[in-house]
Amino acid sequence: MKSASPGIERIFSWSAIDSKSRVVILVCTLLICTIPHSSGQETITGWGEAESWTDKDLNSAVIQGEIAWVFGDSGVVRFSQDSGATWQNHTSLGDANLISADSFGESIAVLSSEGVIYMKEGVDDEWGTIESSQTGINSIALTGDDSFVIVGNGGNIWQYIDETWWNRTTSFTENLHDIDFNGDEEGLAVGDAGTILATANGGATWDYRESPDEDATIISISYFNPYRMFAVSDSGQILYSTSPGGFEWQLREIESVGYNTTLATTLSSIDVVSSSRILFAGPDGYLGLSLDQGLNVERNILPAGVNTSFNDHAMFDYVSGIVVGDSGVILFTDRAGENEDIGFQIPDYNNFGEFVEYADDMLLSGFIATVKIVVFGILLGFTIGVLLAMLKTAPTSFKNILEKYSTNQIRGLGAFGLIIGLWLLYTGVTRFPKLQLEGLEYIFTPVGDPRGFAMFVLGLAIVVISIQFILADKKLSGRLFKVRPLNSLATVYTDFFRNTPLIVQFMFIHFGLRLGMRIQQLMEGTFGDPGIDGIDYFFYGDRTFLSAIFTLGLNSGAYQCETIRGAISAIPSGQMEAGRSIGLTYLGTMRLVIMPQAIRICIPPIGNEMVNLVLNSSLAMVIGYSELSRQGKLMIATTFQIFSAWGLVMISYFVVTWTLALLLRRLEETTRIPGLGISGGA
Amino acid sequence: MADVVLSIRDLQKIYSGGVHAVKGVTFDVHEGESVAIIGSSGSGKSTVLRCINRLIEPTDGVIELRGEQINTPVADVNQVRSRIGMVFQSFELFSHLKVLDNITLGLRHVRRMSKSKAEEVALEVLERVDMLERVEAYPGNLSGGQKQRVAIARALAMKPEVILFDEPTSALDPELIGSVLKTIRGLADEGMTMVIVTHEINFARDVADRIVYLDHGKVAEEGPSSIINEPKTERLQKFLSSINEESV
Repeated sequence: MKSASPGIERIFSWSAIDSKSRVVILVCTLLICTIPHSSGQETITGWGEAESWTDKDLNSAVIQGEIAWVFGDSGVVRFSQDSGATWQNHTSLGDANLISADSFGESIAVLSSEGVIYMKEGVDDEWGTIESSQTGINSIALTGDDSFVIVGNGGNIWQYIDETWWNRTTSFTENLHDIDFNGDEEGLAVGDAGTILATANGGATWDYRESPDEDATIISISYFNPYRMFAVSDSGQILYSTSPGGFEWQLREIESVGYNTTLATTLSSIDVVSSSRILFAGPDGYLGLSLDQGLNVERNILPAGVNTSFNDHAMFDYVSGIVVGDSGVILFTDRAGENEDIGFQIPDYNNFGEFVEYADDMLLSGFIATVKIVVFGILLGFTIGVLLAMLKTAPTSFKNILEKYSTNQIRGLGAFGLIIGLWLLYTGVTRFPKLQLEGLEYIFTPVGDPRGFAMFVLGLAIVVISIQFILADKKLSGRLFKVRPLNSLATVYTDFFRNTPLIVQFMFIHFGLRLGMRIQQLMEGTFGDPGIDGIDYFFYGDRTFLSAIFTLGLNSGAYQCETIRGAISAIPSGQMEAGRSIGLTYLGTMRLVIMPQAIRICIPPIGNEMVNLVLNSSLAMVIGYSELSRQGKLMIATTFQIFSAWGLVMISYFVVTWTLALLLRRLEETTRIPGLGISGGA
Repeated sequence: MADVVLSIRDLQKIYSGGVHAVKGVTFDVHEGESVAIIGSSGSGKSTVLRCINRLIEPTDGVIELRGEQINTPVADVNQVRSRIGMVFQSFELFSHLKVLDNITLGLRHVRRMSKSKAEEVALEVLERVDMLERVEAYPGNLSGGQKQRVAIARALAMKPEVILFDEPTSALDPELIGSVLKTIRGLADEGMTMVIVTHEINFARDVADRIVYLDHGKVAEEGPSSIINEPKTERLQKFLSSINEESV
């Protein structure tokens, strides 16, 4: 450091801190920021992962009695006899991909991509093969033990009944993706361009149903009962009909995504398992569950490591079942995949660990809130303190101000001031009777009529001074010319703040003057609504915060002023003379010579004031600011752990003040100048 | 005769307590001249000196710097002071600043020099007072004589028209006085205009071109430095003999 700048900014700047302290400050800040938010609850997946012994894509699943079957690419077949937990190999059914399956009673059927249907009419029966000689078939639905309907591209519909194929293709030729029957008569088929076809006679004839979205590619349908029919499109829409026969269809406005009509995720399958419970599956690891007919859809949490495209559910009942997906993934559940909240037992706060787990969040937010007002309070308080100390030590008297002017000018000013003063005095006094006070009660006029009282006092002061001006002689030797107006102002301020209790100041400023609210409104007018987070909210979102920093700052400033003034007086008057003698102005000398020395001298007592400010900040609880003490009270309100709660609060305060004290000690050391001031300290 | 730099006419100072410290002092200081003000304690020497750059406001009288009255309310006191250097009895170095910064402070903030230019000037004047080695020291680490030489350098750096010395050696240990006096003598030889309030009678005789003897707020005797050897007035004789008694 060749030559440092002489201003006081050097004492409080980042560059004045040595590298060790910088590291400590940064690490502490980081630690505070990274304290994890504890949560009373944890949510885990409702699915278990089963080993499928294959990595082929599994396309469909079906339940036959107690047995679950899954079918996949290249004819892969697996079955499970324990609700999907463990799986066994089964002879492949052909080489083609098995794409769709359905069950009816004890009978199950599975469709291959080459149009071959494999059928198993009972648990103990063998697989039979039925050729359809159709291609582009997408889905199969059983309508009886040995009858079924298949649908496919181009609106292709074929009914197989009594070992005979019937072409039931209608005039609607959009690709059909899925078909589902409720019982043996009523069925629905869905496909591109919002196509919904309905049958009431087992698939012999099909009618068109008006679609709520002509552009939707309806990918999957589930016909639960005549009053509950649901379908999904590949773009995440949920279509539903509650009219028997599915005559009227609507798009669900999904509450959980802000009443949008789409889940904003691609879907591939829907499965309705009860009159209100719906399961959804889709690519990219999407599994969803609605407990209220699709109004609210909650995404399932998946077991760790699972992120595949899901293709089909198969449910034993409304809670237990399986879901299959690409790469051989089979998941099983006994709670319909619903996310499981754990840790919601009633905590035992007598257990200190559980108490801390509950309290540390509140403590942290209180800690941050306290640090917030303390930092701003200290900045404000110090600024006010320095300002007031400068005012108090300012030698500017009326004589200094006026000696440039001639006696006649001063007398003129006095006459003018006398008129103004008398007018103010008169106006003020004549307002008082309106207060209807009696006798001693007049001491309350400053509260009853602040403006009138201000006029009265100001008027009185101006009259007295004006009379002195009028009586001015050439030397301005009158007593009142020695009055230092800046000093008087500062004295009034400090006397007021030092002679009233801080707690009353808090309440008067916040509830009486409503300072926080006024500042907030001012800021809102300038910068707009603070919102609920972000930088705007930080600065003026909380009006108790504003009131608190102003009260703390104004109060602390009054005390710091005296300390700094003392330090200024401790600087030999020769320093001011020396500064002035090289031509610096008064303020220049203050800034460059006096203050840098004075601040160094008063670091220890100012540190006291700052620690006091931290401790006084606890009184901000009376105006509802959520700092540490208030959080302590709130903790007790819930936990009744009085000793522990106040203990934690006390430790937190100690951490703040002790850190502050350490920093100040450090500051004192790093700014110490050889031969300046008392060489105390470490 | 050379130009009058400083002219003091009928200077009066009554302190607010009613003490009449200076009762009509009149003298001139010419270009390149060094004037020593001597007198016993309480004779008003320091008051006169401080009135000159208005660290004390005179009650009455006229002070002119190069013919221009400076003790009026309209005169720019800061500008006047920057033209008059002052060296204090107790040095009054800015103890929070290093030697170099002590000197550059006025140059940068009053003369508005750039930092590098100010440091150039500062090093130059520090060389004149033989303090180049302690440029990076804080005043607290200097001896009294060194401090006073830095103070002289601080005054010199502003290129003043006159330098006022307020008992520059009174606060020094006897063995340190020499170096300071040598520095001041050097300045006198260079032709610097100076007003020196001092107790060092021998130094006044050697260095000063003119002696002003103050007694009870008035000029009791004024003349060339030879008046110390041949005092005309009884009071100066008395004063000189009392000093001689002390030193013997």
